[in-house]
Amino acid sequence: MIKFDQVTKRYPGSYDALKNVSFSIEAGELVFVTGHSGAGKSTLLKLIAAIERPTSGTVLIANQNISKLKDSAIPYMRRKFGLVFQDHKLLYDRNCFDNVTLPLRINGVSSNEANKRVRAALDKVNLLHKEKAMPISLSGGEQQRLAIARAVVSRPSILIADEPTGNLDASYAADIMAIFHAFHQVGVTVIIATHDALGMSLRQTRVLNLNHGVLTQVALSEPLNAPTEVFKL
Amino acid sequence: MNYWLNHHIQAIHLVLKRMQYNVLSTLMICTVIGVALCIPGLFYLGVDNLSKLTNHMQDETEISLFLKLDNSNDTATEVGEALAKNTLIKHYRLVTKDEAWQQLKSKAETGSEANSPIAQLNKNPLPDAFFIQSKTSDPADLETLRSSLQEIPGVEQALLNTEWAKRLSLLLQIGKKVIFFIAALLALALLIIIGNTVRMQILTQKDEIEVSKLMGATSSFIRTPFLYAGIFYGLFGGLLAVAMITCVITIFNQSIAQISNLYNSDFSLTMLNYPMFFTILISAIFIGWLGSYFAVNRSIAGFKIN
Repeated sequence: MIKFDQVTKRYPGSYDALKNVSFSIEAGELVFVTGHSGAGKSTLLKLIAAIERPTSGTVLIANQNISKLKDSAIPYMRRKFGLVFQDHKLLYDRNCFDNVTLPLRINGVSSNEANKRVRAALDKVNLLHKEKAMPISLSGGEQQRLAIARAVVSRPSILIADEPTGNLDASYAADIMAIFHAFHQVGVTVIIATHDALGMSLRQTRVLNLNHGVLTQVALSEPLNAPTEVFKL
Repeated sequence: MNYWLNHHIQAIHLVLKRMQYNVLSTLMICTVIGVALCIPGLFYLGVDNLSKLTNHMQDETEISLFLKLDNSNDTATEVGEALAKNTLIKHYRLVTKDEAWQQLKSKAETGSEANSPIAQLNKNPLPDAFFIQSKTSDPADLETLRSSLQEIPGVEQALLNTEWAKRLSLLLQIGKKVIFFIAALLALALLIIIGNTVRMQILTQKDEIEVSKLMGATSSFIRTPFLYAGIFYGLFGGLLAVAMITCVITIFNQSIAQISNLYNSDFSLTMLNYPMFFTILISAIFIGWLGSYFAVNRSIAGFKIN
């Protein structure tokens, strides 16, 4: 599904954000990317989501080489992904429903079909009762759930989350992680960058640990004693 | 096809919603466009109407033939016979010097100024004159007819009454060129104004554009709503311009009808015709589209997501 081969990323006038990173992620896997801040987690996710292109090495997504992709093909590549950001990137000039509709509009889904799918996505993150509310009136956790609904509404095969729990307290974070697990269980490839271990699975999951742009270990996480509420969903 | 249609319908829907949300600024930009288009439109109509008026006068193909002052009455009859033979002449009318003198004097008496210079004249200064209607209205033919009439013995001067109208219509042609340049300059100004407005809108929609790009929106998806915004600005501005022009003409026509009455004419300014209507509308829409096209391409090219 996703294959990195000797990938190096250097931002202009800067150090190497990633150095010779090689790994692969199979379809349906749940992978955590960990590391201190500035270790290159975000860069790694941006390379996967075709937001950045590698300086050297190859990034293969679904057997397509990102570096060789034409500019006009990039948008179609991005539609394979659902993206969740630490700062949500919600649009505050429209209500929750319209926020979640945006990816479907981009995909050219007809409005009848879109309405059904938006409600289904909002239902999955328990926000159906807030569809008419403005995002600014939601709590941090609710906003992040809304962002997840928006990321999954177009049914992407890969869900990428950059520090989705970064700004949230423990119980909200547990909620969010539970939602990601639920998507993983229905076969979605989930990649989560995080600096805390809170949400990691009880079961063994793969962890890519970055240290100053170098992939230091591809480890299986030890089961953690996570709070049981995690799997409420 | 369906996807394409859907995309455009959604874009139009979005733009109209945004405009509804910002009624005041939309109204303002439309007014700017309307006024800017109204000015050359009105000038054009004014010149157009004047040239119609002069054309109308040129159609009255009358030649005035003034005989020499010292002619006897026989000369007038001789000239009259010569005119009767000329096949180019539809009909002619003789006004003798006495008739003309009487007319002039009676006019002077009815006039308010009793001591007018005419009343002080004690001798008839007027010649016999023929007023000739030609069969042709072609300016060149008229000119040959005029010079042939000039050749008739006893004729002092043959005057084509339309000379001044011809000169005026030439002047009006210059006027039309001036209008063209005014219109071109205003179009350039509009292009910049609309471009700037759309650029501002792009800035206010920056978040949406960024998020849309992250979700795989194509450039055309991002561009289309802004292009439609430009098109709608043009459309509404153009309609406003047409409405303003119609208003102005209606107001002017009331005064012009009064003046026309004084001249026993039914002349009035013509309303906007369909070709003119569509020219204004289409050029407005085109300017709107072009302005936003430049703005969008410049802004989106420089747009970096992070």
